[in-house]
Amino acid sequence: MEIVEVVRAGGKPFKRAYVSIFLWFTGRAIQAAAKVDEQVRREFNSLPDDFTFSLGVLPDGPWMVIGREKGQVKYLGGDPEGRHLHVRLAMKNIETAFLILSFRESTALATARNRLITEGEVPQALAMIRVMDIVEVYLLPKMIARLAVKRYPSWTPGRKFFGRIGIYSRAMLGI
Amino acid sequence: MVLPDYYEFCCRVKIVAGHDALEQIPGLLSEKGAKKPLIITDKGVAGAGLIDVVSRVLQDRLAGILIADNVPPDSDLRIVHQLAQFYRDNGCDAIIAVGGGSVMDTAKGVNIVVSENASDLMAFSGAGALKRPLKPLIAIPTTAGTGSEVTQVAVIKDHEKHLKMAFLSYFLLPDVSILDPRMTMTMPPFITAMTGMDALSHATEAYYCLQKNPLSDAHALSAVSMIYQHLPMVVQNPSDLNGRLAMSIGACLAGIAFSNSMTGIVHNLGHASGSVCGVPHGLAMAILLPYGLEYNMHKCEDIIARLLLPMAGETDYLNTPKEQKAQKVVSLIRQMNEDLHILTNGRHARCFREVKDREGKPMVPRETLPEIAGAALLDGASMYNPEDTDYTDNLMVLEAAWEGCPLDLSKVKKG
Ligand SMILES: [Fe+2]
Repeated sequence: MEIVEVVRAGGKPFKRAYVSIFLWFTGRAIQAAAKVDEQVRREFNSLPDDFTFSLGVLPDGPWMVIGREKGQVKYLGGDPEGRHLHVRLAMKNIETAFLILSFRESTALATARNRLITEGEVPQALAMIRVMDIVEVYLLPKMIARLAVKRYPSWTPGRKFFGRIGIYSRAMLGI
Repeated sequence: MVLPDYYEFCCRVKIVAGHDALEQIPGLLSEKGAKKPLIITDKGVAGAGLIDVVSRVLQDRLAGILIADNVPPDSDLRIVHQLAQFYRDNGCDAIIAVGGGSVMDTAKGVNIVVSENASDLMAFSGAGALKRPLKPLIAIPTTAGTGSEVTQVAVIKDHEKHLKMAFLSYFLLPDVSILDPRMTMTMPPFITAMTGMDALSHATEAYYCLQKNPLSDAHALSAVSMIYQHLPMVVQNPSDLNGRLAMSIGACLAGIAFSNSMTGIVHNLGHASGSVCGVPHGLAMAILLPYGLEYNMHKCEDIIARLLLPMAGETDYLNTPKEQKAQKVVSLIRQMNEDLHILTNGRHARCFREVKDREGKPMVPRETLPEIAGAALLDGASMYNPEDTDYTDNLMVLEAAWEGCPLDLSKVKKG
């Protein structure tokens, strides 16, 4: 009799690695953007003081956690276990995550296609989606960012240039 | 036809429609093994004699008929708990909801509490909290608008804590919806007009929003045709039973469409103008619908253009040049609002500055527009709108809709 090999969630190492690195860097970039970009700062200020947010892949990761601690926005690592999360954005599986995070589908379309599950209060979730859209515009070249957001914003060249430098350097250094 | 890579569609409500549909209730109840239904309704519906019509159908077949008519115009948590207690005390085994959106929401809330044997409804808020079927629920809409007889959502307000909670589950879909024109015939013309425009906005938004799919499209297109043709007829002639039935079916089709493909900027700004200024939902929909189409025009002109066929009919559709089709849809909807304005002796407002309360005081002072624009950022409907919306976009649309002048398309940000 033939033994059928069970495909485990641990498979697809390339996609998993890509998604892990992406989430790690986005987490640090959001922390940086909260210091550099006025609009991101304002979005976070409208959220509760102990606000915690997680983005990741079902069923068992990878995840990234962002939170507010004493007024500062911090990347809190990759383990949401045991934390109270205000908002969780969960991508249905690693394939879906790869599709979304390689910008072949916008956040909005992914939600419309039931690939991205939003948990938590709607106004807070919407604020986090706006934050992620802004961060994507900073991190990605226009050609790619256009695919990730509904509408590419018309920022001043100054905002884009200095914001990009600030966010990339802070995200690299983790400050 | 837009064919998404992936979509979900669900509507497992049995629809019983026709001129003597109500007569089916006893049979439908016994199919579900229910003997003692609780009728949930509001004072307006009961006062219009509609409960009498329902009870007459039931009285020779059921021992006693229990009626609770204290649903407020805005669903309320305290009332939900009260009605659940009443249901339990009387050993009921099914719910018949007779009314508009608030009655349907309340009945769904009561059903959660009694089926889960819960003490607090709020424990079941959000998506996916319900894990099993609830008690039999029969929905009998008395407006042709909200579509809540076929939606899986209930919104219940906690007026003491100023909270608005949404409940989302396929188990909230009623088992049966009964569309009988006798139930909508007594609706006064201006309410018929605005609830009908709500239904038209469901069909239209379902057709252009991001979650659209071939199945929701089919429902949306037939809804548009049904509603567009019959709405002015029933506003003009309220006792037109065939027209009333067509409107109920149109609203039901539209409800199926939008609960599967969601709504966009029209509902987004409509919810916000409701929460900030108390604008009746249907009126806000009527006013905002042409602007929603204009705002999204650059993203989905082809899609909007296809709505011309069910609205204008074959000849007009073929005779309108391709590049004018979408614009024609917008102007036909504006014309519809004009017609309804005349037919209701001016009670159907065409723009926000015309919206008045009972005392004739304007409900939307121009200075409140920034607050509405901000409140809209907290509402989830923005997610499914084809084009992005930020505070300034919202304000631009609201200002045009306040004034009543078409949107300046050159000012819409296109990215
Ligand atoms: Fe609506």
